[in-house]
Amino acid sequence: MSDQIVESVKTAIEEIDKRGLKGDVYALKEKAIGHSIKKGELSESSGYDDIGLGIRVIKDDKIGFGYCVPGKEEKGVKHAIELSDFSERLDLELPSEKDTPGVEVYDEKVRDVIEDSEGAELTQKMIDGSSSVADDITPTRGGLNVSMGTRVIGNTEGLFLKEKGSSIFGSVTVSIPQEETSLQATEIGVDCKLDLDFEEIGGKAANKVDSIRSSSERLSGDHPVVISPYAITQLIGFGLIPAINGENVRKGKSVYQGKIGEKVASEDLLMKDDPTVDWGVGSGAFDDEGVISKDTPIISDGILKNFIYDLKESAKDEKESTGNGVRSGFKSLPETTHRNIVLEGEGKDRDDLMPDKGIYVDNVLGAHTANPVSGDFSVVTNPVWRVEDGERKGRIDGLMISGNLPEILKSIELADDRKKCFLQIGSRRLIIETPTVRLNDVTISGK
Amino acid sequence: MIDPNRLMEDLLDKGAEYCDIRKEEWDRMSVTLKDGEIDKISQGGEEGAIVRVLYKNGWGCVGTSNLDDIKEASERALSMAKSSDEFKNEETGLAETEIQKDDVKMPMDENPLDVDTEEKISLVRDLEDKINRDFVSSTEVRYGETVVEKEITTSEGTQVMMEIPRVITYLIITGESDTIQRATEGAGGTGGYELTEKAYEKVDVVTERLKKLLEADTPPSGSLPLIMDPSLAGVFVHEAFGHAAEGDLLSSGNSCLKGKLGEKVAADGVNIKDDPTFKGYGQFPYDDEGTKAKNRVLVKDGVLNDFILDRESAWKLDMEPNGGARAEDFRVKPLVRMSNTIIEPGDLKFEELIEKVDKGIYAKSSSGGQVSTAEGTFQFNAQEGYLIEDGEIVKPLRDVSFNGFTLETLQNITGISDDFEAGIGHCGKGQTASVSHGGPHMLISDVTVGGRE
Repeated sequence: MSDQIVESVKTAIEEIDKRGLKGDVYALKEKAIGHSIKKGELSESSGYDDIGLGIRVIKDDKIGFGYCVPGKEEKGVKHAIELSDFSERLDLELPSEKDTPGVEVYDEKVRDVIEDSEGAELTQKMIDGSSSVADDITPTRGGLNVSMGTRVIGNTEGLFLKEKGSSIFGSVTVSIPQEETSLQATEIGVDCKLDLDFEEIGGKAANKVDSIRSSSERLSGDHPVVISPYAITQLIGFGLIPAINGENVRKGKSVYQGKIGEKVASEDLLMKDDPTVDWGVGSGAFDDEGVISKDTPIISDGILKNFIYDLKESAKDEKESTGNGVRSGFKSLPETTHRNIVLEGEGKDRDDLMPDKGIYVDNVLGAHTANPVSGDFSVVTNPVWRVEDGERKGRIDGLMISGNLPEILKSIELADDRKKCFLQIGSRRLIIETPTVRLNDVTISGK
Repeated sequence: MIDPNRLMEDLLDKGAEYCDIRKEEWDRMSVTLKDGEIDKISQGGEEGAIVRVLYKNGWGCVGTSNLDDIKEASERALSMAKSSDEFKNEETGLAETEIQKDDVKMPMDENPLDVDTEEKISLVRDLEDKINRDFVSSTEVRYGETVVEKEITTSEGTQVMMEIPRVITYLIITGESDTIQRATEGAGGTGGYELTEKAYEKVDVVTERLKKLLEADTPPSGSLPLIMDPSLAGVFVHEAFGHAAEGDLLSSGNSCLKGKLGEKVAADGVNIKDDPTFKGYGQFPYDDEGTKAKNRVLVKDGVLNDFILDRESAWKLDMEPNGGARAEDFRVKPLVRMSNTIIEPGDLKFEELIEKVDKGIYAKSSSGGQVSTAEGTFQFNAQEGYLIEDGEIVKPLRDVSFNGFTLETLQNITGISDDFEAGIGHCGKGQTASVSHGGPHMLISDVTVGGRE
């Protein structure tokens, strides 16, 4: 079937070429399965096969975009040409560099999970893991999603790149029934290689909920907050990542405008967008415009080094593309988007980050309400534990934390337990590899 | 594509209890104008189908964008259903629903597909021109249209065809004072290009909001009374209550409303409905199982009265299905989703609500929220806020965020105004659904506000 996608891209490029125009064609063929968990057991199985093409045509320096399915290439090109009349002029240079780095993003074993019934068995492992801790803990939600796909990008400059990828996402939410409502906790695992321990995912979720049985405690005043990789991914994803986007910077929608070379974070902090990491969930040899992937340091030794750009934004800002042209699917134009963000620090032992008095936050609610321009946020934490003498004590209900992400980075401390995390932002995925972190500049409020 | 009825006969012969096929054809067009330049313009079409099979207690669903592969998809769906059944102990089934034969085209004055691209470009430019640029540093105007033709065929004999057009416009503006602030407003609905007229009413709303935000202070924190405007009240009811009233969450033990049907869950005078027949962005004639859409009165004078149900959750809860099954497109199976969720107006004037508050917050329009339906907790951010002192609005606030427990908060509704307004939105539950939500002004006597002071 992959030949169909190659032939279709070639056909579309020929359609553009024969009209004497420039352009690129992106195609995606995907096969996916999902198994969901409800009420302590596997609930249902689903899947899809998808294929389509996104066609970008440049006519008189104006860009038009159309999409279609294989066999309808001529129509797709026609749509793109018609719409190009309405765009602004832009000197967009399509890439021709073909030497890609070797990046491991496809695990052949994923094919077996999709083709055979192995997915149901892996889902059952998460269920078994979460049911093994206590009799009253039930996995009530979650499931397994596995996909594999082939990405092809070709253009009228002779570029033709193809890459296979795979991804595995497992999650389980467990509950303990209470008189009125219930206590819940969630654990997530994401990778593009089939080496997740599914039983462990279930077990971790169950252990978490088991540890919040005690009645809710109270805490007042401002204290250090230690926050899990998954929770910091959410805060950073919504409240900080927009500020490193070249377009937002150019338009004054970033607190980092004009600050390249300045100290913006604690000395130990390294934040980079590195899609060349093997088995990075956002990794790949090239971006969705055919620009070869590279490691882009964003903040290094606490100093702001770079912003990220796609082809269009780099043309507007007279910069080089950083290989951050990402599409939400074949129906979308590329946009400047993070790919595989990595956060590293001094790398303390996680236990050493725990304060004498403070809180440990496993998850937050409402991170998407963070202000993407200023980085201000105010979110509910759940579950959250009171910390005393470096030890997690009882849970606290209804506790909110507020702060400003650019300010928080100045005193952030990072552990050494880096984890691959995943966040869905609209139709896009944010992948961050981050450890547990300690935030020393947040406001805590509660009842 | 092979005749759906022939495919389904084959699946039934192979042991399927039930199956359905949903074929869809989509046309979409979108334009984004950023700071006076056409940033993105896109148009395309696609078609595909999904086969859903119930084998004993196991479900299997496979979608494909290649209609020639529909037979292979149906075989995979059956095989998945069989494998799913092997791991399941809980019995499942489908509540009975009336067999439907219908072909419906949702009314529209002007099919967006027939409107010239030039006119759509003029629309976004015209809207941008009307934005007062004195304090606005950046603008974004988006236009989007979708027209979908669906054909739902079930092994029980239902065959429903429908055409649903939807049009949406968004205004997003940014300005800078001591901080950078952003204000957004959207307009649109289910219907034709005529709905774009509504966008003009939003220009002043969004610019006035940004102006206030640029001079706003951060809010106090702690337990305070809070008045929601109609837009925020609608989003609150959708997020905090509506999701908990979804049959799939109820039947799987993920809702704080479980077992409370007929019980008092909100203050006297609170009436909440989810109505797919209401003229909003979440309107549809039949759901994605072919069940006729009907109004669901969820709360009647404070008492929990109904849920939003697809056929499976209705079977599990021993209730009647009411058209609650919606799927984002042909790639995915339908889930239980809301449509147009509304809290009905009361009899107080807005001014009377303000007068009731000694010290509190007036919060307008949501910039997002999140809920935990099982734990019955919620968190919301308002786009715009005001401090109320001694029954008067004193000053604008920004970054107003609040949280609470759904059941406690619904009981704490101590005033509902007599006005009403509905807004539009996209609801996410693994899949995106177009929805409307609306209500009056609503006073909550006590919520936790998370400020930075």
